[in-house]
Amino acid sequence: MQAAPASAISTLADLPVRMVDSAAMDYLLIEAVNALHVSSAVAFARARKIERDMVEAGLVPPPPPPAKQQNLRDSASSTSGKILVPADEEEGVRSRLEAIGMHVGNNFAERLCHDRPLFSDSLDVIKFVCKDLWVSCWDKQVDNLRTNHRGVYVLQDNAFKPIARISSWEGRQEALKRAKLYVALSAGIIRGALSRIGFQGTVVPEITTLPQCTFQIKLPKNT
Amino acid sequence: MATTSKQYKAIGEDLWKGRTEKINSELFALTYGALVVQLIQDYEDYAEVNKQLEKMGYNIGTRLIEDFLARSSLGRCSDFREVGEVVAKVGFKSFLNITPTVTHSGAPPPSSRPSSAAQQSGVPGSSFILTLDENPLAEFVELPDEALEGGLWFSNVLCGVLRGALEMVQMQVQAEFLSDVLRGDESTEIRVTLLKYLEEEVPVGDD
Repeated sequence: MQAAPASAISTLADLPVRMVDSAAMDYLLIEAVNALHVSSAVAFARARKIERDMVEAGLVPPPPPPAKQQNLRDSASSTSGKILVPADEEEGVRSRLEAIGMHVGNNFAERLCHDRPLFSDSLDVIKFVCKDLWVSCWDKQVDNLRTNHRGVYVLQDNAFKPIARISSWEGRQEALKRAKLYVALSAGIIRGALSRIGFQGTVVPEITTLPQCTFQIKLPKNT
Repeated sequence: MATTSKQYKAIGEDLWKGRTEKINSELFALTYGALVVQLIQDYEDYAEVNKQLEKMGYNIGTRLIEDFLARSSLGRCSDFREVGEVVAKVGFKSFLNITPTVTHSGAPPPSSRPSSAAQQSGVPGSSFILTLDENPLAEFVELPDEALEGGLWFSNVLCGVLRGALEMVQMQVQAEFLSDVLRGDESTEIRVTLLKYLEEEVPVGDD
């Protein structure tokens, strides 16, 4: 945690930290995911319609059959590019959650860092993420940090708060699938924080068993 | 014996203090803000976004009320006036750590015969207005002109939460924003109007 300011006067400059019940946040996130499912379907439908209109008007050649690398889970893709494949929709939600996370991470990192001196190197930044960011967002520090000293860091949390309570009546597989969606938001927060600090990296979350989660962070080589 | 306003305030404070899990309200505000932006981008229609926020709030409210009842162990409210008090002093306090001021108004009387407020509340048509001095959802938020003209109610999720939560305790209400400081108004106000009491439905097959 940040060191306490030296003089009493400077504490006046610090705004009191307002808190909100975490249950409110949990419910908001649950419903946000649902709302994003609906809204991304709407956005997709609109984009498809525009595409169709443009194709019909002859402005754009018909699209090739979908073979995008995103649809890794979608093996036998349909021939027409216009049917909304479930994997597409989930990707839409996932990327929206990550975008929201980026926004949160960007701004929150600014708030957390405003007292600190500059970061000396990338390891320092990662340590900040493991300690300060994790504590502020998820009430604990990262349990395990591994690195190959070449820009790849693996952060492991054995009881990651956002997914600690996920369960599904449909079974563990289903719970795992949903958990993967929620951690997209968390990955976005980490990525956003890193980016605002100045490190454009990638963050890939991975869950094998709930509630353990690892984040693989790749930072560019020249740092 | 009716619980006084002060007692409700104390209950609210206790509930808030008793909560072990709290998060930084900035995280909350940032998440909500980014979500609203995303919805605006997806729907491209402010009225629709208002509707979706309300719907989201409704779903949240239906869960929130159970959490609230479990924590607070408050009994049934005797009239709508009490509902307003509990919502403002205990409900908002325990989840958002704010205490909006509440102004009651009974149903518009058919004649101009004066009657006590207690008699009027509890009648469909009675309402209360919550005035939020601070809105944790709207920290750091500034609405662009487009949104202002489009009629966006940024915190519309709160109206949905109220509607959903109260419906689960057998009250059908209408909750709407009257004004919002984000829109340049002087204060942020939500009016909650009681439409009717809902009958408890016995599941088919019982009896």
